[in-house]
Amino acid sequence: MDKLRRLYLKSAGAAGVLLAAAGAGLLKPGEVFAAAWNKLAFSSNNVNDAMKNANYGGAVESKDIILKVPDIAENGAIVPVEATSNIPGTTSMAFFVEKNQYPLVADFELPSGTEPYISTRIKMSQTSNVRVAVRAGGKTYMQSKEVKVTIGGCGG
Amino acid sequence: MPAKKSHLVLPVFLLGTLIVLSACATRPEPGKTKMAPLELEKPAFASPWVRYKGWPSEMWSDYSTVAAVVPSIPAEPIKIEGPITGDPKKGEKLAYDRSRGGSCIACHIMGKPVPPLPGNAGPDLSDYASWGRSDEFILNYIYDHRKIKPDSIMQPWGAHKLFSVDEIKDIVAFLKTQKSPAEFKDNLENPKTRPIPVETRDNFDPFLNEAMAAVDKGKELFGKEGASKKSCASCHTNPEQTFRTWAASMPRHESRLNKVIGVEEFVTRHARATTGDDYLLQSGGNLALSIYLRYLSNGQPINVDTTSAEHKQAIKRGTELLGRKIGQLHMACVDCHTTERGANKWVRGQWLGEFRGQIDHFPTFRTSRSEIWDITKRFQWCNVSVRANELQPGAPGYGDLELTITALNNGMKLSVPGIRH
Amino acid sequence: MAEEMKMRATLQGDVTDVKVLMNHVMETGLRKDPKTEKFIPAHFIDHVVATLNGKTVLDAQWGIAVAKNPFINFRIKGAKAGDKIAISAADNLGTQYSGETIVAAK
Repeated sequence: MDKLRRLYLKSAGAAGVLLAAAGAGLLKPGEVFAAAWNKLAFSSNNVNDAMKNANYGGAVESKDIILKVPDIAENGAIVPVEATSNIPGTTSMAFFVEKNQYPLVADFELPSGTEPYISTRIKMSQTSNVRVAVRAGGKTYMQSKEVKVTIGGCGG
Repeated sequence: MPAKKSHLVLPVFLLGTLIVLSACATRPEPGKTKMAPLELEKPAFASPWVRYKGWPSEMWSDYSTVAAVVPSIPAEPIKIEGPITGDPKKGEKLAYDRSRGGSCIACHIMGKPVPPLPGNAGPDLSDYASWGRSDEFILNYIYDHRKIKPDSIMQPWGAHKLFSVDEIKDIVAFLKTQKSPAEFKDNLENPKTRPIPVETRDNFDPFLNEAMAAVDKGKELFGKEGASKKSCASCHTNPEQTFRTWAASMPRHESRLNKVIGVEEFVTRHARATTGDDYLLQSGGNLALSIYLRYLSNGQPINVDTTSAEHKQAIKRGTELLGRKIGQLHMACVDCHTTERGANKWVRGQWLGEFRGQIDHFPTFRTSRSEIWDITKRFQWCNVSVRANELQPGAPGYGDLELTITALNNGMKLSVPGIRH
Repeated sequence: MAEEMKMRATLQGDVTDVKVLMNHVMETGLRKDPKTEKFIPAHFIDHVVATLNGKTVLDAQWGIAVAKNPFINFRIKGAKAGDKIAISAADNLGTQYSGETIVAAK
C-alpha cells in the first residue's frame, strides 16, 4: 500500500486519486499529502524562477515579515532560520537561499488555526541572501537578509 | 610464549571474576577506590588504527607529531640578484588557494577586493608594498621565516615544501601590488570589527543538540547486561550520586597503564573487566557512556589533580607538547590558543579560543560534521589540520595533553554534551 | 520507528508549540563520494504533514536544502492538553516516517 500511495503522489492529478483512495479507506485522512511535489519549483536554479514556480511570483517586500537568521553562520550545513508573518490571513510560507544551486528550500502550507510562524534549519552552499516568502489573502510578500557562511581557516 | 600464555587464561579469568565480585561487594566509589578493575592488555581502540573516513588521507611522515619529533632545520636564506619578476595574478591565486594549508587569507588581510571573511592572526598586508621590504626579504620570509623572526607563528612555506621557490616569487609579486589599506563591505567582513562569537545555545535542548540522545543511550547502556551477566548498574546502583563529581576529576594518571587516561578509556577498560562489554574508543557506545557519566557531573567545577608527582610530570610533558611545532604547517597548540600568539583572533571566519574554555563541553556535537567528537578526536583533527599524522586514541601524548589543558580549565563547570560548529 | 522522530508539543496559553526532530540523512545528490568520485544519490524527505486529532495543521514540501536530521518548530491554536499531534513524512525514495505526541500543558 505504501508503494501504491507513493505512486499516486508522484502521478499527475494526484489529488483526485488520493481522494478516491481516502474514500476507499486506503489512506487515513491525516496521511494524505495535499499536492504532488512541486518539482518545477524545487529544480529551478534561479531564485526568481523558483519563487514564481512556487506561486510566490511578484512578492513585494514587507516589514511585517520578521526573518531571524544569523549574521554569520558557523557552517553552511545547518543554518537556523525563523520567520513570523504579521500579515493577516497568511496561508503559506516558503524559504529560499538565493545562491544555492536550487534556491527553494521548503514550502509550508499553514491552514487556518496554524500560526504564521516556522522555525527550521537549512543548508547554505555559500554566503547568500535568505528569503522568506509569504502568501496572504491571495497576495505574496517577502523579506530577505544576508547570511555570511564562515569559511574555515584550516583549509584542506 | 603463546602456549605459555594460554595456560594463564583460566587463572586470569578467575582472578578477574574475583575482582568483579569483590569490587561489587564493597560497592566502590570511583575516585575513592584505589584500584577499579581494568583490563590492561589489549588496545582500547580499533586496532590497527585507521584514520576516519572522510578525513584527508594524506600522510605527513616527514614532520613531527605529538608522539615524535622529526628535526626541521631552518633554511639558509636564498640569495637573489635584482628584483623579483613573478606573476602577480598567479601569486594572487596561490595566496587564496585553500588546498595548500589554508591560504594566506586565513591569517592575513590582502587582495583587492579582499576575499570574504579574512583572518587576522597575522598582520594586515593590504598595504604591504609600502612597508619597504626588499624582494629578497619577502621571498625568504615566506620561504622560511625562522632565520629572520624565529618566534613568528608563520609557516615555513618553502622549506616545508608547501610552495616552490617560483611559486613564492609569484606571491611576492602579488604582495608588491598591495598598496592601499583594505576596504570592507561591512563590519562583519573586517576581522577587527567582526563580533566575537558567543555560544548562547542551550546545549541541553534535545531539539537543538543531537548529542543529547547520547545521554539517553548512555543511561540505557549503563543498565544493560554484558557478557558477564552484569551491567554497570549491578555495582553502581545509584549513579546520580556516585558519579556526581567523578567525571570532573578526569583525566587521571593510571599507574597500571603508566599513562593518563580520560573517562573514555576508563569506560573501555573497566567495562571489559566487569560487564564484559567491549566499548572501543570512538565507538558510539563508548561515546554514549562517556557522555552519560559526564552528564552526571554537569555543573560541577572541573577539578583535576595538579599536585601528585605523576600529574606534575604529566603536565610537564603536556606543556612541552603544547609548545611543540608539529606537521608540515609547523604549528604548535600555543600558536593558536594563547593570547600572546594567535588566540582571540580570527583564522578566516573562525575565532581562535584560549585553552581555558576548550574542555568543559567535550564530548561535543559538531554541527559542521553532524558528529559527536570527544576530546581525542578534536586533538586528532587539530593534528591533521596542521598536516601532522594523528595518533591513535588512547596515545599517551593525548592523555598528557588532555590533563594539561583540563588543568588550565580547573574551576570551570562541566556542561556536557556541548554543541559547537 | 521510535528513533525516527522526536516530538514535543507544549501548550502555552492558547497556542501549542510543536517541535519535531527527524532522523534523516537529507542527502542532496550534489555531493561526491571522495573515494569513488561519483555523486552520492539524493535522498531527502520531500513531504511532511502534521495533524491535530486527524486534521491537517501543516502541509510542507521540502527540497534538498533542509538540514540533515530535519528540525521544525511550528505553532497551532485550538489544541488542548491530551490532544494528539501526528507527523507523516515521506522521502524521495518512497520511505515513510511517522511520529506522534500528546499535547502537554506547560
